Amino acid sequence: MPSQKQTTRAPALLRALGVDNSADMRGTLYVLLLLAALLLTPIVVGDDFVYHVFITICLFAGLATAWNIVGGFAGQLSLGHAMYYGIGAYTGMILVNAGITPWIGMFVGAAVSAVVGVLIAYPCFRLKGPFYALASIAFLEVFHVLAIELKWLTGGATGKMVPLQVGWEWMIFRERLPSLIIVFGMLCFTLVVAQVIRHRRLGFYLIATRERESAAVAQVIRHRRLGFYLIATRERESAARAAGIPTVRVRIYAAAISAALVSILGTFHAMYLTFIEPDAAFNLVFSIQIVLFALVGGIGTVFGPLLGAILLVPITEISRGLLGASALGLHGFVYGVILMLVVVFMPDGIVRVLPQRLRAAMDPEEFDDTRGEALDDEAMGEMHPESVKTGERPPVGREVLRVDHLVKNFGGLAVTQDVSLTLREGEVLGIIGPNGAGKTTLFNMLSGFLAADGGSVAVMDANGNVHQPQTPADFVGLGVGRTFQIVQPFASMTVEENIMVGAFHRHPGVDAARAAAREIAEELGMARYLHEEARNLPIGGLKRLEVARVMAMRPRILLLDEVMAGINPSDLLEAIRLIKAIRDTGVSIIAIEHVMRAVMDLSDRVVVINSGAVIAEGDPETVVRDEAVIEAYLGKEHGNA
Amino acid sequence: MDLVFTNIVNGLMLGALYAIVSVGLTLVFGIVKVINFAHGEFLMVSMFLVYLVTTFFGVHPYFSLILVLPAAFVMGMLVQRLLIEPLQNSDEHIMIFATVGLSIALINLMLLIFGPDILNTPSSGLRQPVNIGSGMFLTGQLNILICAIAVVGGIHLFLTRTQLGRSIRATGQNRSAAQLMGINVSWIYMVTFGIGAACVGLAAVLIAPLYPTSPEVGQYFVLLSFVVVVMGGLGSITGALVASMIIGLVDAFAGFYLGANVKDLVVFGIFLLVLIFRPQGLFGGARNLSHVS
Repeated sequence: MPSQKQTTRAPALLRALGVDNSADMRGTLYVLLLLAALLLTPIVVGDDFVYHVFITICLFAGLATAWNIVGGFAGQLSLGHAMYYGIGAYTGMILVNAGITPWIGMFVGAAVSAVVGVLIAYPCFRLKGPFYALASIAFLEVFHVLAIELKWLTGGATGKMVPLQVGWEWMIFRERLPSLIIVFGMLCFTLVVAQVIRHRRLGFYLIATRERESAAVAQVIRHRRLGFYLIATRERESAARAAGIPTVRVRIYAAAISAALVSILGTFHAMYLTFIEPDAAFNLVFSIQIVLFALVGGIGTVFGPLLGAILLVPITEISRGLLGASALGLHGFVYGVILMLVVVFMPDGIVRVLPQRLRAAMDPEEFDDTRGEALDDEAMGEMHPESVKTGERPPVGREVLRVDHLVKNFGGLAVTQDVSLTLREGEVLGIIGPNGAGKTTLFNMLSGFLAADGGSVAVMDANGNVHQPQTPADFVGLGVGRTFQIVQPFASMTVEENIMVGAFHRHPGVDAARAAAREIAEELGMARYLHEEARNLPIGGLKRLEVARVMAMRPRILLLDEVMAGINPSDLLEAIRLIKAIRDTGVSIIAIEHVMRAVMDLSDRVVVINSGAVIAEGDPETVVRDEAVIEAYLGKEHGNA
Repeated sequence: MDLVFTNIVNGLMLGALYAIVSVGLTLVFGIVKVINFAHGEFLMVSMFLVYLVTTFFGVHPYFSLILVLPAAFVMGMLVQRLLIEPLQNSDEHIMIFATVGLSIALINLMLLIFGPDILNTPSSGLRQPVNIGSGMFLTGQLNILICAIAVVGGIHLFLTRTQLGRSIRATGQNRSAAQLMGINVSWIYMVTFGIGAACVGLAAVLIAPLYPTSPEVGQYFVLLSFVVVVMGGLGSITGALVASMIIGLVDAFAGFYLGANVKDLVVFGIFLLVLIFRPQGLFGGARNLSHVS
């Protein structure tokens, strides 16, 4: 249990690397031993071929770790990462020819790669899965052609030698040891960068934006939504945006960092091989190899790619060394078969099949708690209702949100027609209406996910100044938080991590965010499930998690989209209490709700929407007797009856 | 003017080639929702098969269809059954890796068996040039054009007019609902994959006499197939046909005026622009298989 793990705190330096407690420290020890073995084995054996194998391991481990920042953490499957390797290799070679040492050249290459990475990431960030992969292949091909065509710069299709100037200054050596030391250093640097990213806000944000989702959700989306793969599965992204994550910027940072790291290794490898040609430098199969190591090790884990390279590189290098040209294609065949076997039999990589202690060591964050058995509704029902604190209700204050004459059309369909409403501080405003009345569309406009065709949404900040926010980020910045009707957990993150994503909005530091998340979980009675992966929660738990995540942002205005739907009667009582408790802390709430009991019980005022227009407004008792309302729900005859 | 005409004829012939290769890819995507990165290798393996049958029995390459078509069909079914189906519910990236893995394995398997040398299937008169004004093409190319149009039309009719075709479309539109209607979804996916692969088998029979066969040949074609399939709107068969012709023409003109390498730059540039700005394809996905009414 986490509380026990925390008894030993790690030194400050290690804590900066995300090493928190004794379990993590043991993990660090394993990793350090592995790295030491990587460096020392060839030195002890002293054989040239062994040196070569270990240099290749370090190279690919570094490349795969760097790829993983984009491909694993953010879930964008680049099959074009050889392009950054090629840029690094060519930049280094060109500058050496101009008399500039590769030690400078590798940073120039890294800068060029980072810029290219950003230029590619920006337009492509909406592309998902196979489409991102296709785009990255196309970019790789473009660079391949450029390397062939720009003969004056690159030497054209035949490739070019790196001038053989031996010595540390030129990164070219007669012996293998210095090369090993350099590439080993680069690998360690890459691992440290990956580890730091993973355990900082950026890492959490990246993982929150990635599209990996539980099988069930994926199934529904894959088969229900048309154009599904293409444009970002908007829902998924919206959860991240509702949590205040600058999704574009986060991915661009990741792309730049990943590209720069790959590029640096590319420069090294060019000096090691002393010869480069377009077919080898911008090679699709090379790209795929990088991904393969990450996949075999465990995508999205920090040390998985290292493991993958350690396991696979020797097999192929040795088979190549022993069989030579007589077995042309053998290592490629082996790679292909391994790739298929891995995806079918252990899609989460070696890391997941390691004994638990080692597994925790390889990625303590992700595997903080790996019991992983699904919770049933009964277990969730045991959440302690009494843990919700209720306080004195503050008086309803001034206006905090004003909607004026809002209009929205989808094609010829007027979804929202001239809707106006106001929300006061500390008030609960219920919004009801038949299905298809346009309630969720209204919410989307109140949180920046849809732009209105006419009218305005004004939000007052804490000092009473009036703002007209436009984007989800603007709304989040003003303290407007929302939940989604269809729950949108970050499925592969734990409950704690889910809430932390919300908490980062106020606490940039990981420790502070974690503390805040635990506090919220405590308040909402979810403390027991902190280390459960969100995908294992039943629907009631997921709804509660939605609320917890948004509450971690400490919103001033809370938009709740059917948080009561589909939960059982005992949970309902609890949920009503929960919302009252939130209200009592001074948060203003707008709730879309179908469960009349909750509406009647909670709302200070109710707005009824039908066919996009407000048909009634007032206190709950009056509204439910309103004839227009009865007619809207039950039809005209019932209204007369 | 003559040059323009020559290039147009060339472009249409190239377009037909891309069309016949991509039909299967777009069908599989439209229904099974898998982008088959090993599609080019289906073509490559089929071309080797055509070579073997033609040289072993000494028959006209087109006769090999009797063997290649069922072989490709079975190959497609097996891949769906053994590789894709077990992964049906996994993350997207898993599916990509699976087909990428298959692609690498097949290329290198052929490399192991046949070596890196280029093999030439006997052309049996299919390389006979036909002249129309300043335009020139091979009889084999004309056959490709005719077959491409026939296949696109045939698949369209099959999908809209037969019970099996309707089941396939239903499955493509909503798998769960199709299952509830008593459709054996797993079988439908296998058949669809089989048909997709059989289309490639037909393409291989038509292409082998005109183009050299090598383990890498699939790579060349598959990249262009992706371009065409995305441009046409993924899963849209008629869209893919139109996109093939566009890319064929671009290819011919750019190749003539700008050179062979820059041509690729133009094609991939267009591809990227389409991916970024119109990921639903040039025709808005209206002809998407899952929509076809």
